[in-house]
Amino acid sequence: MNHQGGWELIKNTWQSWLQHRGFFFLLAFGWMLPLLVYLMIWSAAASEGSLAGLSQDALAGYYLVLVLVNQLTYATTNWTVGDNIRMGQISRWLIQPMSPLYHALSSEIAGKVVFMLFSIPVTAFLALIFRPQFNLSWQQSLLFIPSILLAWALRFFWGYWLALLAFWATRADSLLALQDTMIFLLGGHLAPIRLLPNWMQSLAKILPFRYMSAFPVEILTGFLDKNESLTGLLIQLGWTSTAYLLYRLVWTRGVRHYEAVGG
Amino acid sequence: MQALRLIFEFFKVSTQAEMAHRANFFIRFLNAILNLATGVLSLTVIFNQVESIKGWDMPSAMALLGVYLLLAALRGLFIGPSLESVAGMDGEIWQGTFDFTLLRPVDKQFLVSFRHWRVLMLFDLCLALGVLGYAIHLMQAELTLLAVMGFIITLIAGAALLYAALLAFSALVFWNSGFLFTWIINDLFQLARYPVELYPGWLRLVLTWIIPVGLMTTIPAQALSGKLSWQWMILTLLFTIGALIGASWLFRQGLKKYTSASS
Amino acid sequence: MAEPIITVKNLTKVYRVPERAPGLSASIRGLFKPKFQDVEAVTDINFTIRPGEMVGLIGPNGAGKTTTLKMLSGLLYPTGGEAKVSGYTPWDRKAEYLQRISMVMGNRSAMNWDIPPLDSFRVLSKIYKVPQDQYQRTLDELITLLDMEALLKKPVRNLSLGERMKCELVAGLLYQPDVLFLDEPTLGLDVAMQRRLRIFLKQYNQQHQVSVILTSHYMADVSALCERVMLIHHGRLIFDGALQELADKLAPFKLVKLQFTTPPTNLEGFLTQFPSVEYLPSENGHHILRIARSDVPKVTAEILSNLPVADLSVEDPPIEAVIDQIYEEGKV
Repeated sequence: MNHQGGWELIKNTWQSWLQHRGFFFLLAFGWMLPLLVYLMIWSAAASEGSLAGLSQDALAGYYLVLVLVNQLTYATTNWTVGDNIRMGQISRWLIQPMSPLYHALSSEIAGKVVFMLFSIPVTAFLALIFRPQFNLSWQQSLLFIPSILLAWALRFFWGYWLALLAFWATRADSLLALQDTMIFLLGGHLAPIRLLPNWMQSLAKILPFRYMSAFPVEILTGFLDKNESLTGLLIQLGWTSTAYLLYRLVWTRGVRHYEAVGG
Repeated sequence: MQALRLIFEFFKVSTQAEMAHRANFFIRFLNAILNLATGVLSLTVIFNQVESIKGWDMPSAMALLGVYLLLAALRGLFIGPSLESVAGMDGEIWQGTFDFTLLRPVDKQFLVSFRHWRVLMLFDLCLALGVLGYAIHLMQAELTLLAVMGFIITLIAGAALLYAALLAFSALVFWNSGFLFTWIINDLFQLARYPVELYPGWLRLVLTWIIPVGLMTTIPAQALSGKLSWQWMILTLLFTIGALIGASWLFRQGLKKYTSASS
Repeated sequence: MAEPIITVKNLTKVYRVPERAPGLSASIRGLFKPKFQDVEAVTDINFTIRPGEMVGLIGPNGAGKTTTLKMLSGLLYPTGGEAKVSGYTPWDRKAEYLQRISMVMGNRSAMNWDIPPLDSFRVLSKIYKVPQDQYQRTLDELITLLDMEALLKKPVRNLSLGERMKCELVAGLLYQPDVLFLDEPTLGLDVAMQRRLRIFLKQYNQQHQVSVILTSHYMADVSALCERVMLIHHGRLIFDGALQELADKLAPFKLVKLQFTTPPTNLEGFLTQFPSVEYLPSENGHHILRIARSDVPKVTAEILSNLPVADLSVEDPPIEAVIDQIYEEGKV
């Protein structure tokens, strides 16, 4: 693997993204908004006390951290994979002496930096309005780091293998829309998992979607005890490995298919 | 008469273009179902936790969801695609083909508002009517003829307001062709999913009088449940007329700007 | 002589362009106290065009051709001066006016790419309120002239560049406009297709007496179609007249091509006696001399009587070369 080339690519992508920051700030704003809507709805619902032990302040803390975590884990790149395959861009990448994964990774990393330039100040400002509150312990912070890295990797590779189905079906990116919807419903966006009806809670704990976004937030804001956190991390690790294996499988099969039909 | 004939032609041609991509069918159905499912599930989750929030119970919130989905379907049916083809990414302003639109011997505002149709959104429209019907079924006892008439009038006003907002935001592209103004209004429109009363006071004011996404759905839903006073009804209608005039003025200013400065 | 269909008086367009100095502090200053620079795109242009005339508007990139066309079609407000086209002021953009003019651009498409051209044509005919029978007749005529029966049912996306240009022309002529503005109609087309479109335009112009203003970078277009050319440079109209006249005025010399039976020993030495003769690098055995127009008879006579000439021809310099020269020198 050619890591040097990969790093140069990351730097280039970052620079060109910075030049279009208006566009990316708009994207970031669009992702932030639904979360803020549900923050306000649940705040209003919790105005006369607390819901399942969650006060308005705790809800604010949960959602504002979720805003940042969601942007850090959202894999924008996956939406362009299908186009790259259809338009033949992928042919150019296949003949470069570097894994095409780097092209996806470079825009991923570059994107995160640009999005954070927008999201951190905005979230800080929102914190002044919504007055979030949660206790931060060393243990929570330490567990948060692997959980957010795994959340990003899981969300990225899960979306990537779905997007790679574009080798066979032209509109595979609609599966990404389905993934987004599942994350909205079961990934803690519509409501913190513990506010969901029981059947949805059980689903959320088994399926991968919670581990793509809400799980690190729950750890950081102290929703989970040590045992729940560690079990969650194990499940998260399991799903991430599955997603990676699926990506490898779909990629090798897909390239073979692509070469067979002549692109 | 000429206008109706042209709308019919535009509709016909758009249908033809859409039928050319058969995959679109599947995607649109999937999207419509996902939209419906997330909307209804969200309400179920919320009202599973609380009986009512600030006077809004499940049936009235469901009615509002119906109005929201209906307006979203109308936007997707023609307002959105028409205006996006001018002001959006790869739109006419961006590509320079807006010159042709300016040269047509037809009213320009009419042309940019009705030119492109996404026929499959009619399916979304049906689902939205279904949700409305279900909501009416839920609150059966309270429905009066007066309420239904008020509802229809304010619903039309809501659609007109949405159109005015989209037109005004699209017109801004004449001043800055690189910025996707229509995205902002599309993002903000998500706030109309829930009654404005659920938002904090300052935001409520903004969403009522400045970016009137609140008026678009809250008012018709209130009318349906008989909670709307006639003063508010008249105020909404006056505001709608004002917004239409204002948006049309802005659009014409934009045209003037375009023809005095383009190169 | 017929009344002119296009009259342009003192037409001027000045763009106000914000000046942006590099650096952050400068751009912050620019926020509060923006500086503008006036750029004269078109300055004080006057001309008239008769009905049915085909006029070539030429000039280097950025000379003001497109700005002029845009003002005449009503897409751009001028800063000063007036224009009347078909009796209307273009930039009022009255529906009756738009009905009478057409603009076809080589680099922009008026077609819907997802549907076959025939459907786009039908929509256009409704927009321009063309009666059904007249629409059918016009369409049939254009399709025959352009030989494009086979293209009508394919989506525009799948057509070649040349085929697409044919569609653009049909779209522009469906409602039988009196005035046609053609902006680089042959851009990017191969030579055969260029020739095909030229023949069409000539035929159509003769049959329908449509007035045409044509801009093109290919001098072949202009020389094949337009007897009259207007040359714009730095926003000013510096020549308006017959193309041949422009060439004569600009190129006060001819090219003499020579071939010898045996290579002459001292050709260059022989030529030093004529100060107006310039010896150009020879091309595959041909020797080329550039000779002032007035000296041509004398010099050729001398050469013929003193050198072993096998073949001699006198030619005008290619029009492209002439135009290049003006573009560089900026005057006629």
